[in-house]
Amino acid sequence: MVEAMRQTVASMLKGIDRYNPENLLQLERYVEIQSQENAYDLEANLAVLKLYQFNQKYNLDITSKILLKALTNFPHTDFILCKCLLSEKMCSEDPIAQIIFLADVLECCDFQTFWARVGSMNDLLPKINSITGFHDSIRKFVCHVVGITFQTIHRNLLTQLLGGVDDQTLRHWVQKYGWKEEANNMIFIANQDENIKTKNITEKIDFDSVAGIMAACR
Amino acid sequence: MMYDDFEGGYDSYPGGGYDYDPVEVPAENYDRQFDRVPEGVKEFLTYFRDAIRKGMIFEIQNYYENIFPKMTEKHFENRPWPDESAVARFVESDPVFLILYKELYYRHLYARMQSSLTLDQRFNSFFNYCDLLNYILSENKPVDLELPDQWLWELVDEFVYQFQCFSQYRGRLQKKDPNELLRLNENNKVWNVLCVLNVLHSLVDKSNIKKQLEVYASGGDPDSVAGKFGRHSLYKMLGYFSLVGLLRLHSQLGDYYQAIKVLENIEIHKKSQYSHVPACQISTSYYVGFAYMMMRRYSDAIRTFSSILLYIQRTKQLFQTKTYQNDQINKQTDQMYNLLAMCLVLHPQCIDESIQQALREKGYHEKMYKMQYGDLTEFENCFLFACPKFLSPSPPPTDALPDDYTKEPMRHQTQVFMDEVKQQKMLPTIRSYLKLYTTLPLSKLATFMSHASGQDLPSEIAALRTHLLCFKHKMKNIVWTKGTSGLEGSFQSGSELDFYIDGDMIHIADTKVANRFGDFFIRKILKFQELNRKLHSIKI
Repeated sequence: MVEAMRQTVASMLKGIDRYNPENLLQLERYVEIQSQENAYDLEANLAVLKLYQFNQKYNLDITSKILLKALTNFPHTDFILCKCLLSEKMCSEDPIAQIIFLADVLECCDFQTFWARVGSMNDLLPKINSITGFHDSIRKFVCHVVGITFQTIHRNLLTQLLGGVDDQTLRHWVQKYGWKEEANNMIFIANQDENIKTKNITEKIDFDSVAGIMAACR
Repeated sequence: MMYDDFEGGYDSYPGGGYDYDPVEVPAENYDRQFDRVPEGVKEFLTYFRDAIRKGMIFEIQNYYENIFPKMTEKHFENRPWPDESAVARFVESDPVFLILYKELYYRHLYARMQSSLTLDQRFNSFFNYCDLLNYILSENKPVDLELPDQWLWELVDEFVYQFQCFSQYRGRLQKKDPNELLRLNENNKVWNVLCVLNVLHSLVDKSNIKKQLEVYASGGDPDSVAGKFGRHSLYKMLGYFSLVGLLRLHSQLGDYYQAIKVLENIEIHKKSQYSHVPACQISTSYYVGFAYMMMRRYSDAIRTFSSILLYIQRTKQLFQTKTYQNDQINKQTDQMYNLLAMCLVLHPQCIDESIQQALREKGYHEKMYKMQYGDLTEFENCFLFACPKFLSPSPPPTDALPDDYTKEPMRHQTQVFMDEVKQQKMLPTIRSYLKLYTTLPLSKLATFMSHASGQDLPSEIAALRTHLLCFKHKMKNIVWTKGTSGLEGSFQSGSELDFYIDGDMIHIADTKVANRFGDFFIRKILKFQELNRKLHSIKI
């Protein structure tokens, strides 16, 4: 379903036709389908926001879904791109303000707060639950950040960062990223010292770069 | 009249015909106007028109870039050029020349008399662009017209600029009288954002410029796919400049994704057959760099700014004379230094020594220092000075209260950027501590950072760990590596300081740059040679 639509939509977004409001219904439906089928198409979603921006009429439900979908694509900055197409007023009103809060917490990597708040936003929960795979997408982002930051991490900490998951789920994520459980409740992530090491930039002067000036100094 | 083609867009208005009434000058004024046209100007316009009709490109270029500004200074410093009717008489009412003349006429009004522009003048300038496009695009073969690239670039850039002016004028409802408002609301299609987009897209499509660039990027001959219009220099360059116009327009509307996307297949750092208009190159880099900065692609932004600023540094003497073009170039250069300074605060990395030096000489170090120490006002001021003019794509609703609606887009984009800055607020402090160590226990750093917040150590450590995760996340961004789209790239950590955490210990990797003596000596040698040369030329 999504794949079939991806093609159609891509052709709808070519040239000046991307601003055709007659496309809006279909594009909005595409947002719904992305939410249901755990697929993602940033460009199409931006086109929806653009049409809203041009006509100054935002469908709040669709806009929320687009923003929540953008959260699922962290660490990419899609959320910022979407936010730039909204208006000042919208950003200060719920539910958009709530979603922006979540994005802010995620950007700061304050995952504990994220999990605590996401569970308690009662009016936003139905929307979040309508995004298939939302929580796991956030966990993917958590794993991305953990993967670039840690060489070894405490088991408990990782559990917390992933939103207090149970043992089995934790093992699932550890396995998925090829991490290893070690003794003393530690988890080995990767040998970071291979990638992250002090660089020394020394000056290299090759003959070509001074040949000119040497020739001139006769 | 064929305005329908370009006023179009997708709005629900039926028909789309509006009355096009250029303001007529009463008949008795014709002669007065005519008589007032100085002889030299009459002569100039006759020559100018002949040159255009005969396609004498060097003469046109000279008339356009040198004589016209000179005449302006001499005769029309603070008043309009003679209007169409007065000029028509001695150019045999040449319709094409008159359209081009009016383009210059309105541009002059916008540049020198903007505060007194009338609604009719704004409208008529728009209609004149429509006339020009109808002339260029409605035939089934290329029109016989050639204009210098500089002119074509300025024409497209001016078109977007006038849209910007109109949009700002349109959004200020406080000082509008009811009649003006009524006319504006009745003519919402004039300078409508869709029309403007449509014009730019039409020029892009007609010239096949996207295909041409694609073939050019892969080493082929663009002419092979250009088609009969695209091979013609007028269409080709208008198409290319329209892409840059779209880049600007998308940026001003806050659509940074489209802004970068529209330049697919253009490698902006490479010299190419399209890149010989400096103002266009500079403007391109400004908007591209800005869009990258907003997308948190600091490495790409820094590369874009450094590369164009180096180019400007090397060709400085080109921009020193005071002309309207150079004013804009110099303003954009200053803005780019500001943007570069901001990017370097957010993402410290090595840049070219001579740019580093320019930042020092221009006094940016103090600003950078303030920003590093979390001075948000300084960040905001820098942003406000250096950002493009953000626009609302549509006019305020007809029943809107008499208020100023132009500031909202600016406030919103500033807010988005400042949100990002606030998220990163702790990073410079952490960086400054990490720089001092190669390994550092979490608890120790937490104590350093805890001054007087009164929390217990475990919560301090937890807070610090969050900041460290944020540091890693924010410093790992998409960086363009290869390919024809500026949107592509891979995640890289390009900043000079990096670290990882092993259990409870932070391991730090810094970048150490050895002193560069080579550059220093070369500069001194050149200076010495110059001195020597001068000494030799002194005759006693």
